[in-house]
Amino acid sequence: MKQMKLFLGPQHPGMHGNASVHLYVDGDIIKKSFLLPGMLHRGFEKGMERHTWINNISLIPRVCVVEPDINEMAFAMGTEKLLGIEVPERSHWIRMIILELARLSIHLMAYGGLGGPTGNYTLMYHAHADRNSILDIFEQITGHRVYHQYIVPGGVRKDLPKGIEKDIHAFLDSLEKRYEEYRDLGIENPSIVARIKDTIMLPEAVVWELGVTGIGMRSAVGKPYDLRKVMPYARYDQVEFEVPTSIYSDARSRIDCKLKEIIQSISIIRQCLAKMPEGPVRIPLGRGQSMRWTVPKGYVYSPVESSRGEFGYYMVSNGGTNPWRVGVRGASYPQGLLGVEKYLPGTRLDDAALWIDTMGVCSPEIDR
Amino acid sequence: MMNSMSNVEFLKALMTQSFKLVETDVIDQYQVSFVLKQDDVHQALITLKNAGWIQMSYLSAIDWPDENKIELVYILMNWERPVHIQIRTKVDRNDPVMPSIINIYPGAKYYERECYEFFGVKFPGNPDYEKQLILEVWDDMPPLRKDFDPKAYSDKKFTKREYKEDYLVLSEQNNKKEKREERKTRAESLKGGQKI
Repeated sequence: MKQMKLFLGPQHPGMHGNASVHLYVDGDIIKKSFLLPGMLHRGFEKGMERHTWINNISLIPRVCVVEPDINEMAFAMGTEKLLGIEVPERSHWIRMIILELARLSIHLMAYGGLGGPTGNYTLMYHAHADRNSILDIFEQITGHRVYHQYIVPGGVRKDLPKGIEKDIHAFLDSLEKRYEEYRDLGIENPSIVARIKDTIMLPEAVVWELGVTGIGMRSAVGKPYDLRKVMPYARYDQVEFEVPTSIYSDARSRIDCKLKEIIQSISIIRQCLAKMPEGPVRIPLGRGQSMRWTVPKGYVYSPVESSRGEFGYYMVSNGGTNPWRVGVRGASYPQGLLGVEKYLPGTRLDDAALWIDTMGVCSPEIDR
Repeated sequence: MMNSMSNVEFLKALMTQSFKLVETDVIDQYQVSFVLKQDDVHQALITLKNAGWIQMSYLSAIDWPDENKIELVYILMNWERPVHIQIRTKVDRNDPVMPSIINIYPGAKYYERECYEFFGVKFPGNPDYEKQLILEVWDDMPPLRKDFDPKAYSDKKFTKREYKEDYLVLSEQNNKKEKREERKTRAESLKGGQKI
């Protein structure tokens, strides 16, 4: 049969973001495939060199649209490392609450996104409704729903509003109650299991070859390789949580790990709310000048565990008011580009969207 | 996990005995950087990969126009002994060439393509490094070099757009007293209409 060329995305329910996968198919078996990025390139790395350190806070959340907080955290941590300062104790705990709420939000969105390629839209609507509650909490804390610009070098922008603990607890309780329902709708649902079980395999050798991190790696290797555990930042060393793993990485076990992480994140947020001390949340960095403060010379790589893996900023300062170079290590870069080119051929056409979905390929962090 | 400071000490000892280091910098207990000569980089990467740093996290470049150099950086990670290693080396800026490392770390393939596109560093050994990846039909110097000016490029590339003057507010004829009154009454009549 003649080979046919098909495009998956950018307009496709199974594609998240503005990237396209070019597929050469024979019947419904993929023979050749590659990702075409570049539809969302907005010159972030160049833009960051042209803004002052604090101005960049309004730019960097845009690097990853659905998960903006990790960008702020990586950038803030890197700047603090270069400056050699320690932020107030309370701000560490607030940062952790924000990061874990963001993790819940992206896991819900990604799990709901599974409804796209598998055709179960109920799941998507339920997940997005719950995500909306998280956005409401974010709006109360930061004033913004999606791009929060809340974690800044030197701490967080302002303290938590009064009474927010009640709202967060109420949301966590409701999500915990619905957890089993989510499992029944998604990965326990026979019609979806037929699609995701034993498909899109990721063997351990491939993990190391590509450099996949995060859930993709942990579900194949079976070890708790999570940056929050192995090199704890903020106060992750003072909370108790487990890192879900598996040794058989098909689409189902990756989604299973994702769902188990939801339970862990809920537990972390509860511990943070209980352990959080009182005190200041931000130290001023601009000595005299609010915007044009300088950062000492240095090279630093500042990694954060995102929902999709190791997400890092490589930051270079030459002692000026602007960063000299900021490089972004997108968590889904390896599986999005090399993974699609090398390991998608041989699978079925309808599994291509599952690769993009369960590996968490996020096009804006490839085009940054 | 194991004692992290000993990991850094281990790395420093390993690198010092095998290579002539230009510079060593311990950033914190989870990160260390080594600056090497260009010829030593491949051997260093092989040594570190054999020592357990099997994941390549990031590859990119930094432009230093004053020194006329481009600095390449490789970031490696080992999850058993959690230390991020930066390996840095400087190459000539006028003709930057660095042999590819895809035989050591296959994951570097796309990072090298991106680096060629944005800094113009050539990676012989990587079969696809010259193919376009993100920038479509780019016809200027590599954009992340410091002497590339986005404003000048956009002025050269795109025609200047002419904006119309705001008719209602800025036009002198419309800013006369009777015209203002007319607009006011019209607005009020519309308000009345909405009530019904």
